[in-house]
Amino acid sequence: MNNKFDIAALVVDLEPVTALNPRRPLMIAAAILAAMIALIIGIQGIRADVMAGHPDEMFLIRAGILLVLGGATANAVTSMASPSVGKSNNGWQIALAAAVVFPLSALIVATTGDIGPAVSAMQSGMRCMMYSAIGGLATAVPMVLALRRGAPTSLARAGWLTGIAAGGLGAFAYNLHCPFNNVVYIGLWYTLAVGGCAVIGRLVVPRLIRW
Amino acid sequence: MIAREETLRDLMTRAQGGDKQAYAVLLEQTGRWLTRFFAQKISPDAVDDLVQDTLISLHRKRASYDPTRPFLPWLAAIARYRWVDRLRQTYRHAADELQDQYSVGDHEDVIGAKISIDRLLHQLPEGQAVAIRLVKIDGLSIAEACNKCGQSEPLVKVNIHRGLKRLAALIESE
Repeated sequence: MNNKFDIAALVVDLEPVTALNPRRPLMIAAAILAAMIALIIGIQGIRADVMAGHPDEMFLIRAGILLVLGGATANAVTSMASPSVGKSNNGWQIALAAAVVFPLSALIVATTGDIGPAVSAMQSGMRCMMYSAIGGLATAVPMVLALRRGAPTSLARAGWLTGIAAGGLGAFAYNLHCPFNNVVYIGLWYTLAVGGCAVIGRLVVPRLIRW
Repeated sequence: MIAREETLRDLMTRAQGGDKQAYAVLLEQTGRWLTRFFAQKISPDAVDDLVQDTLISLHRKRASYDPTRPFLPWLAAIARYRWVDRLRQTYRHAADELQDQYSVGDHEDVIGAKISIDRLLHQLPEGQAVAIRLVKIDGLSIAEACNKCGQSEPLVKVNIHRGLKRLAALIESE
């Protein structure tokens, strides 16, 4: 092997480094999420039922699934910064499968002709997408920085997962304001919000983390 | 003889702390391990380049090693990434060929000439495997490959493009 010179050069160049801590970007993302929630509630207000202490069941299910989806995928993203053959972090797949229940249910209900406010409240739906994207972008920053410092070995997957995580967390923040409980509305607009962020993540993130 | 996992892990942890002596031993040992690793996967003349690429990546990305986890699976992930990256460079080359249907000439820098992918080719659909083998490994022109395998020229190009992309995905998922 003719790498003697390179080894010597690398040894000379060695500086101490701190090993990546995957919890750090997660904690920063959580802090940013809290700030986004405060911002959205400050601008748009909080749901009346949450304010009254009697949240609707659909809101609780939606909030839970979005938080689990965003948290599980964010955890998978930061774990990708420290690669290892044979290591699996598949919790996000279960969370994503659970989240798919919403668009599937929406599709089934919509075929009966009952689409609720899904189309009539388009303006609110667009706002949901916009806030989810802004919140997602903010929470994506620590994840992308962790990936850039780390050594992700599947750039496309890292892009998808960063987008899903960011979209899930961004949508969770907006969900605390969103007054709609209709499954078709949720299945349409929240899917567009998370899906849109996922596509953006897939398109943008790999270019930022290539090494 | 190559050091054991526990020794390599200890050396890497010390290297992260700035211990140059430990780092020199680690690089020497991992260089040997990588030579064996790649020798089972690629042609001998490509091994040295990939070993050096991987050692440089190890150096640049040493903060990404988690000292609480085994070292060799981390090293293998880095090595596999470099290998896939090499394959992708060829995939991009094939994509360029697709966009320029009159440019079929130079095949010297393609992956087929450097990396032995026999083990993976049988996992591809037959049309893709045949097209890659004829053009990227045997060095035939697109026209010659068409005559030999009976596929049309656009189909050969598409099969090469899709096949190389799939090969990269196969290595990544291993």
